Amino acid sequence: MDTTSPRLRMSILGVVVLACFVALFARLWFLQVLEAPELAIQATANRTRTVSAEAPRGRIFDAKGRVLVDNRTSLVVSIDRNQLKKVSNRSDLLGRLAEVLTTNGTPIKISTIEKRLADKRADPLGATPIAADVTEEVIHYLSERAEEFPSVTYERKTVRVYPYGMTASNILGYTGRITAETLKSLEPGTDSDGIVKEYQADSIIGLSGIEATYEKELRGTPGIELVQVDSRNRPVGTESYQPPKSGNDIQLHIDIEVQLRAEQALADRLAVLRGTPQKDGVMRKASAGSVVVLDPRDGGVVALASQPAYDPQEFANGITQERYNELQDINGASALIDRSITGLYSPGSTFKLVTATAALSNGLIDRTSSIYDDGVYSVGNPAQEFRNSGDQKNGTVDVVRSLAVSSNVFFYWLGDRMDGTTLIQDSATAYGFDQKTGIDLPNESAGYVLTKAEKKALQAKYPDAYPDGDWYTGDNVQLAVGQNVVVATPLQIARAYAALANGGKVFQPHVVWKILKPNSNLANDADVLRVIEPVVTRTITLPPDVRDPIVSGLSGVTGGLGTAASVFAGFDQSSFRIVGKTGTTQVDGKADTSLFASYGPASSPSWVVTAVMEESGYGAEASGEVSRRVYELLAAQALTGAGSATTGTRD
Amino acid sequence: MLSQGVSSRASKLSRRDPTAPLRHFDPVLVGCTIALAFIGLIAVYSSTRGPGPDFSKTYLVKQSVFVVIGAGVFAVFAAVDYRKLHDWAWAFYGATTALLVLVVSPLGSTSNGAQSWFSLGPFQLQPAEFTKLSLIGALAFLLSEFRGDIDLRRLFALLATAGLPMALIMLQPDLGGTLILVVIVMAMLLVGGLPTKYIVALTMIGVIGVVGALNSPVLAEYQRNRLTAFVNPDDKSNQALYNIEQSQQAIANGRIAGQGLFDGPQTKLGFVPEQQTDFIFTAIAEQFGFIGASLLLSIYGLLCYRIWRIAQVARDSFGTYVCVGVLAMFAFSAFENVGMAMGIMPVTGIPLLLISAGGSSAIAAFAALGLVLNVHMRRFQ
Repeated sequence: MDTTSPRLRMSILGVVVLACFVALFARLWFLQVLEAPELAIQATANRTRTVSAEAPRGRIFDAKGRVLVDNRTSLVVSIDRNQLKKVSNRSDLLGRLAEVLTTNGTPIKISTIEKRLADKRADPLGATPIAADVTEEVIHYLSERAEEFPSVTYERKTVRVYPYGMTASNILGYTGRITAETLKSLEPGTDSDGIVKEYQADSIIGLSGIEATYEKELRGTPGIELVQVDSRNRPVGTESYQPPKSGNDIQLHIDIEVQLRAEQALADRLAVLRGTPQKDGVMRKASAGSVVVLDPRDGGVVALASQPAYDPQEFANGITQERYNELQDINGASALIDRSITGLYSPGSTFKLVTATAALSNGLIDRTSSIYDDGVYSVGNPAQEFRNSGDQKNGTVDVVRSLAVSSNVFFYWLGDRMDGTTLIQDSATAYGFDQKTGIDLPNESAGYVLTKAEKKALQAKYPDAYPDGDWYTGDNVQLAVGQNVVVATPLQIARAYAALANGGKVFQPHVVWKILKPNSNLANDADVLRVIEPVVTRTITLPPDVRDPIVSGLSGVTGGLGTAASVFAGFDQSSFRIVGKTGTTQVDGKADTSLFASYGPASSPSWVVTAVMEESGYGAEASGEVSRRVYELLAAQALTGAGSATTGTRD
Repeated sequence: MLSQGVSSRASKLSRRDPTAPLRHFDPVLVGCTIALAFIGLIAVYSSTRGPGPDFSKTYLVKQSVFVVIGAGVFAVFAAVDYRKLHDWAWAFYGATTALLVLVVSPLGSTSNGAQSWFSLGPFQLQPAEFTKLSLIGALAFLLSEFRGDIDLRRLFALLATAGLPMALIMLQPDLGGTLILVVIVMAMLLVGGLPTKYIVALTMIGVIGVVGALNSPVLAEYQRNRLTAFVNPDDKSNQALYNIEQSQQAIANGRIAGQGLFDGPQTKLGFVPEQQTDFIFTAIAEQFGFIGASLLLSIYGLLCYRIWRIAQVARDSFGTYVCVGVLAMFAFSAFENVGMAMGIMPVTGIPLLLISAGGSSAIAAFAALGLVLNVHMRRFQ
């Protein structure tokens, strides 16, 4: 066969060309038919960018339906710092921007812009907010001259509005931009349609208070826009759009009127006492304090006041470092701590509730058991003396009288008799001390009530802070009057008094009452997604022979010879009897901590009011006064039938 | 045999004269040419109009001008008897070779790292495109002289004729332009009767040469990357891979029926680089899907079949060799260009003839097909 035959060679050429075309067809089939779904997804991914728009967060209402937290739209002008680096005439750009803002209703200096650009707290990747709440004119101007303002961006942001200003700021909390670490760890919630409320680098989240604890409910479903971009990442169109959806609304047990009253009373009283000397001459700093108002029937939190306070509005558009530092030192106290749930104080005489319960329940004493109180009680050898406040001699005292007149000697005696047991500690535990209450707010403290074993363990663990690990009778004596080896939060004290008020139920306090649909109508029951049911964490047995003597002793506090009688002078207790206990705890070198724990009305307890004020003096003169002003409002509410949250009617 | 006087009135007499050129006009070849040029205009426009709303018509207008000029060139190359062109083969070869020398001189202009064109006002002239045609003419001339009897000396003459323009194109450097000349030469030598032992020897030298070039500093880094990208599709550091990935995604995006005219997102948004030229196939494949892309390939296939067939029926061996050269030029540019877009061939800048934007390649392609029609029309003369 002639291998050079043109015919054969032409055939070979034909076959080669044919083979090439077959290969092309095969590959085309593979790409467009077999592999297409997979490759097309990659193509979609590279020509689209997801732009997410934050949805409005849910609103927050008080128990009577008043709006505590709402939303409004704010127009924000920002500068992308990374793009700004590429701008050649930087100072010219900032100058023109400042001029546009200033002439259109948002006066701003170039130095202010520079300062905001230098703020280290701003997201390094995102745009840095320069001016918030600018006018529509500014946006209009900038949008028409985008090329003259490189790196300048603007957006419509939904920001929080607080119609009651600083009131309840410790409860409501504040929102802010998510941090990089939080973005990684925070698990997004899902809305009622099952859509996951994903977080983005610029998402706004609740950073404290209810905003933080109910983040999953309050957060709206972000609007997701799939934007088509060209090869240079410039947007050219929209592929799909899922509109943003507001978050769930929330209704609280808080009665904003009571909250407002508690805050005012507290702030007023602190201001009056600040800088004045207490009885022993020590100056009162009166810098901080708190008031807790609970509903003893269900553990609903009616008010939680904490002073000093801050304005959450300041956080809505970002806060400066200076202001943040300022807030942490107001008269020497931080405004960012909610003292009602985080502050730890020796409960002092308010703790006698626990000691009396322990003694009565365990048969150490009965209602009639009495001793002679000459103002001093001695224990141990060599004798260690414990005195009444002001060395007051109360004469023959039983449990009822000793509570009313605050005979420490009677309780020193009880402490002495219960030394070697954990009866007081057990009683404290039963009342809910030495453990977190489980309130739906972040950063709650647990406090402690030391036992002999715990003191030993503490010493072993922290030998420097606790040099002495032995348990002395003196420790038990101090414990009996709520000093030295016991600390508690104002909320824990309030919860214990709530248990006394309701006959022994120790509730998990709740700020939130109901979760509602987005943009809900409170009058419509169908808008309620769920109700946070009361939770009884433990029950303390309070038979009449235990409860009655205590209640009658505490009833005497606000009248007759009671320690708070003068404070409640003029308060009509015929229909609204207040059952309470003052407390005064000594702090080395400082003015006393003033406490008052109470409930009322005695006939049908509806409110527990507890006040704790740092460096403010005697129980009655500071906390008692504040509590009285709160009760004045509560008594008026009881009279008009506008009772506490859960049973009250809505506006 | 017809006299001069008769042939001047050929159209009138062709009915009577069974050998008259116009009687042997090939409608399939011409139809394929027109169809491809038309598809080319759509492809160029859709891949250059931009995302809107102000669509650019610059490329469309330019390409339309090229098609019109190309049609004229096609008519001329079909009308003038190819045997006259046979006599001018060396003049044409000399002219294009001279242009190749000039283009690497300071007179030439540089784009994408290759000095490959002359700037003529709004247009660019790429001599390498016309070199394909002139080399086909010169080799066909030699091969028809040799009448299938090729010894070593004659082989050297052939290789020297081919080697000069190849070397000049390599200087630009234009790897794709060189490669297509290699294929044209191989096809023509094959059909031209090169003894099998030489074919084997040349193939082996070629393989060793390619392997050696890939492992030597003769090729620039980017050239090596392009050539090897399709072999190592997972080498993320290789920039050439981006093009291939984007183009394959665009093709896949077309699915069976296509995204529709002007609706291919990858095309519209400019994700595929060099889309109006080297990656033009992706524009067709994304907008018209498997149906449209295979129609395009089928037209190409049909065109190749016609050229192959005309090569067989040519009256003389010069005609055959010209057709074989043109066949190699079309078949390989389609295979390499489309294969590259689909990731089965290395990345080299070879235009898809009649489709890719560009005046020189379009005009050269029209001229080549005109020649083939010429051979077909005069197969009985």
